[in-house]
Amino acid sequence: MSSIVLEARDIRYQYPRGQEAIKGISFHFRRGEKIALVGPNGAGKSTLLQMFNGMLRPDSGMMLFDNKPMEYDRASLRELRRKVGFVLQNPDRQIIAPTVYQDVAFGPTNLGYNEVAVKDAVTTALRHVGLPGFERRPPHQLSGGEKKRVAIAGVLAMDPDVLVFDEPTSGLDPSGSEDLMELLDELNHEGKTIVISTHDVELAYPWADRAILLADGQIIKEDVPDVAFGNTKFVRMAHLSVPTLLELSAELEKRGFSITGRKPRSVLDMVHIIESQARGSCGHPAPGTVTVCNVDTIAPGTIPLWVQARPGIAVGAMGTRAKQCAAMEQVLLEFTYGVIDKCILRALRGKDSLILTNGSMVGRVTERVEAYCRESGNTVQVTRFDSCEPGKI
Amino acid sequence: MFEELLEDVAQTNGLRETSTWLKLAAGLGAIVLCLLSTGYAAPLFIALILSAAILVLARVDLRTYAELFLVPLWFALMSVAVIVLISGGEHVFWSWDPLPFLALSITRESINTGFFVLCRVIGGMSALLFIALTTPMTDLFVVMRKVRVPDFVIDLAMIIYRTIFFLLDQVRQVYHAQVMRLGYSGWKESVHTFSMMCGAAFIASWDAGDDLVRAMDARCYDGKFALLGENRPVELRPLAALALFLVGASAAVVATQGMTLL
Repeated sequence: MSSIVLEARDIRYQYPRGQEAIKGISFHFRRGEKIALVGPNGAGKSTLLQMFNGMLRPDSGMMLFDNKPMEYDRASLRELRRKVGFVLQNPDRQIIAPTVYQDVAFGPTNLGYNEVAVKDAVTTALRHVGLPGFERRPPHQLSGGEKKRVAIAGVLAMDPDVLVFDEPTSGLDPSGSEDLMELLDELNHEGKTIVISTHDVELAYPWADRAILLADGQIIKEDVPDVAFGNTKFVRMAHLSVPTLLELSAELEKRGFSITGRKPRSVLDMVHIIESQARGSCGHPAPGTVTVCNVDTIAPGTIPLWVQARPGIAVGAMGTRAKQCAAMEQVLLEFTYGVIDKCILRALRGKDSLILTNGSMVGRVTERVEAYCRESGNTVQVTRFDSCEPGKI
Repeated sequence: MFEELLEDVAQTNGLRETSTWLKLAAGLGAIVLCLLSTGYAAPLFIALILSAAILVLARVDLRTYAELFLVPLWFALMSVAVIVLISGGEHVFWSWDPLPFLALSITRESINTGFFVLCRVIGGMSALLFIALTTPMTDLFVVMRKVRVPDFVIDLAMIIYRTIFFLLDQVRQVYHAQVMRLGYSGWKESVHTFSMMCGAAFIASWDAGDDLVRAMDARCYDGKFALLGENRPVELRPLAALALFLVGASAAVVATQGMTLL
């Protein structure tokens, strides 16, 4: 997990007849990390990203992929670009072909897959981004969010190790952004390294494993998000703002709240901090439970029955497949993003909730809840609901 | 924007799932029959059947269809008027010689010829609209590859198809921005503003071309465009309907041979 996948050693780049865009940058990304490159417009984010898959070649310094220096001949570039998928900011500029199928198939075809393998790759990629059945649609009829997903599917179809996103949420509405960030989480959970560039600190702060603050072609700070964003000096230098949660926790600290250990990265963390200080004044009922259901293995029709038998339960869906399943089964969803945290929050108020998700994500719910319980000392029960005998409903 | 409208209708029409071959056979067959016909009735019959197919089977909105039909029909009517006035004949109803070299007359023969041409135009137009409204461009690409159109032509056509919509969007944005700032308030301004829009469109297409190359490179472009999806199979019922239509139309062509209006 911790091997270095992408590395830069003192790279510099100057646009022809322009000013220096990258002024000596070094960093490394580990396999399976979530990295946010954060900086204002014109900081050199896009330029830097284009070096990750060899679209630009640094004037001096060295880029390494898999601990090997990048080569810039045709064959090596092809191999590099297969392994480092790049999603442009504007999907209109990335979608080439006249139908969704052809566009997603573009990469695999050029990699020389046979027809069956291409079809397979396309189907899997479209299913992944939640657009099955869109094969024959022309891209100009799709919404912004759908276009973005098609662009991502086109890259996913090549099965890259590293996914690079330039401003992934630009042009998307808030719920579209949340959906997209969740998709990135899902991909990361499958072992892909994800790099995004953004100037949205609120987006990067809770999501990233590591944040790199860029300004004026240089790295200002590279650290875990609460440190990188917590220092007002660095944040000001990078023309950014301190994330609301961090600002709030800093203010609470000044007012005598003791905030030990990790800084809050979510509303859940914040609630925990406040509640642990004010314990006694707000009494805790017996905590509710979180039930996890794997939509891949559940028989159709059981979820609505199960939900109906438990009035007052809230249902959340994680991942595109789960959301589709909920829509098909006509289950009303209360949470569609930040689902685990919101369900823990409910459980703390003594309410029950059900999380719909699929295969690889089931384990993550348990992990996240256990991690929370360890840190907070609260106990929240997670149960599984995979198959259901009629009598048990 | 007209092109987009046509393509959008085609993408969602009721005959979308019918085999492209059958739809093309119906449209092209109808055009050939219209050309072969020597009487006015057969093209009208073909137009009637195809219009019914467009409206009922393909579920195209009547208004949309009428609008699409009326634009070329207007041109056809003007041409027919010229034909009627210029061509001569024996049964003269009305004549006028305004200039020594120009004689205008309306005769039985000229009316017959004009009406015949008009009917042919109507028949041919309904056939073309039938293809345009039921067969989206994306399906035609599949057919193009099947009939061995060179790959580079198809690849180019596909890139052009994709870029048209992108460019239209750009032009529309520029146009709106210009209208909002009163760019088309007078004739002189209009010319100036329009030239600016052309310039902007040119730069936008240049940029888009740059980006296209980059996007293709980033996805390992190696001179290959994806194989196009499979064609829909030829089904029995549409095939029977097509056969019935072609046989019926051929019969009409034969039966109404030489039929004239007057």
